[in-house]
Amino acid sequence: MRKVFDLGFKWVTGLCALLACGVLALMVGAILFRGLPAVSWHFLTEQIRLVGADGGIFYNLVGTLILITTALIVSAPLAVGVALLQGIYLRSAAGRRRLLLLLYLLNGVPSLLFGLFGFIVFVKFLGWGKSWLTGGILLGLMILPTVTVALIERISSLPRRYLEAAAGLGLTTEQVIWSVILPQSVGGLITGALLGLARAAGETAPILFTATIFAGATVPAGIRESPVLSLPYHIFVLAQDSFDPAVGTKVWGTAVVLLGLVGGLSLIALPLRLRIHEEANHG
Amino acid sequence: MAESRSAPVLEVRDLSVLAATQPILRGINLTVPAGVILALLGPSGAGKSTLLRCLNRLIDLTPGLRVQGEVRFHGQSIFAAGADPDALRARIGILFQQPAVFPASIRQNVLFGVRHAGRVPRGDWPELIERALGEASLWEEVKDRLDAPALRLSVGQQQRLCLARTLAMNPEVLLLDEPTSALDPRSAEAVEHSLLRLKGRRTLVLVTHNLAQARRLADQTACLVVREGAGEIGLPDPDLDRPAPTVGEI
Ligand SMILES: Nc1ncnc2c1ncn2[C@@H]1O[C@H](COP(=O)(O)OP(=O)(O)O)[C@@H](O)[C@H]1O
Ligand SMILES: [Mg+2]
Repeated sequence: MRKVFDLGFKWVTGLCALLACGVLALMVGAILFRGLPAVSWHFLTEQIRLVGADGGIFYNLVGTLILITTALIVSAPLAVGVALLQGIYLRSAAGRRRLLLLLYLLNGVPSLLFGLFGFIVFVKFLGWGKSWLTGGILLGLMILPTVTVALIERISSLPRRYLEAAAGLGLTTEQVIWSVILPQSVGGLITGALLGLARAAGETAPILFTATIFAGATVPAGIRESPVLSLPYHIFVLAQDSFDPAVGTKVWGTAVVLLGLVGGLSLIALPLRLRIHEEANHG
Repeated sequence: MAESRSAPVLEVRDLSVLAATQPILRGINLTVPAGVILALLGPSGAGKSTLLRCLNRLIDLTPGLRVQGEVRFHGQSIFAAGADPDALRARIGILFQQPAVFPASIRQNVLFGVRHAGRVPRGDWPELIERALGEASLWEEVKDRLDAPALRLSVGQQQRLCLARTLAMNPEVLLLDEPTSALDPRSAEAVEHSLLRLKGRRTLVLVTHNLAQARRLADQTACLVVREGAGEIGLPDPDLDRPAPTVGEI
């Protein structure tokens, strides 16, 4: 009886895994099949023309890269600060737990609410209008939990003997942080950031009414009233207008580029993560 | 040496350590005179490591432990408000049972403490490296490959590198937590040789399981025993209650 149950369980799990992989493969396959023909060197290097029916997505790509770079610059120092607070400075277990809970809560906030928050604070209150900086800040805050948790995991898995050896030599907490903790956990920061950015690159809701427009922006020169184009918003707008077959191909093409960007970021993160784990176990 | 014994370097007075309400150490009194090797014996779990970690306040790094009583370093209470634990740890070095070398070169490892917390001018570093590695009986084995990764050394060599790293800070007191129990006999012998040569110029507190080692090295012994669940200073093994022969002293 037990054997039958075990066997059944194995089959069901296997089936679920297969289903998940199948859906993913189907999705990626469909996007590639319909989008790849649209992707060319010109598509990547030309400006948008004829309201998306012609031309390329150069400034959309540039805009998305600006947004996620800003998100990285915003989230990395914050993540380091929060992770050090959680792993080093907070002495009580209850305090640490509370901070972690807060991170998970932040992670659960719908991305649209980030957009709304940004709209009220930056667009209206600070009077920035639509700005790439708002988008970058919002995306940075949105991925903060991902980056921070990866860093926290890495810091907590640092061998205690390293910390004690450094402290035992008379290094102050700050010196231990700079000489041992940060150099040895930077891998966690990088993998966390890559995974976070992969998510940020595809988000539409936080930038929808705070940072991005459909056409007519290039590289921003300032902060106020300086929106950027972006890949996800481009898809968002064109998809509502995809009865035009010329536009349809462009949508799928843009999707391929976005998928490539996101997949690329995740793919760099994965081996890095494995390699760092290996170092931690054998170092 | 006789007059230095009158001025103790470390005095432990009625020291207790509690985890929550459970005592780990109870009512410890111990005096460490200058320039001696004091061996600390006792069964596993008696609190030897805990006591050692009190002496340079490394115990502060473990959350949840409460320290009562007093430890005085040259007459000054180290747990007093305003006492600087980092400066204390620079003067009271520690060597653990398992070597913890950093994933960097041999040279970087020796310089680790000096670079971050020391006040030695850069020009003196080469000399410092030679002195520290020499004192740790490792210089001859690594002098031609100071820039090789330290993790490639054998465990015994790594332990001596850790000793050199601590000695580079020029500490007055050296706390040694079973420093040879994880080592091959040759490295263990080299470490013992180093410790004997350090005696007199520095004060050493040596935790060891090895009675023969205590006999070979120690001028004085103290013994931790477990009574009612906590470590207390007990009577030393009568066999050991005599000055160890001063073999190898220079
Ligand atoms: N952080 C801690 N929290 C609770 N108990 C501890 C802690 N550290 C050590 N102990 C307990 O204190 C006792 C003494 O430990 P230790 O000082 O390592 O002994 P020894 O070095 O003599 O083997 C052990 O029973 C250990 O379980
Ligand atoms: Mg121990």
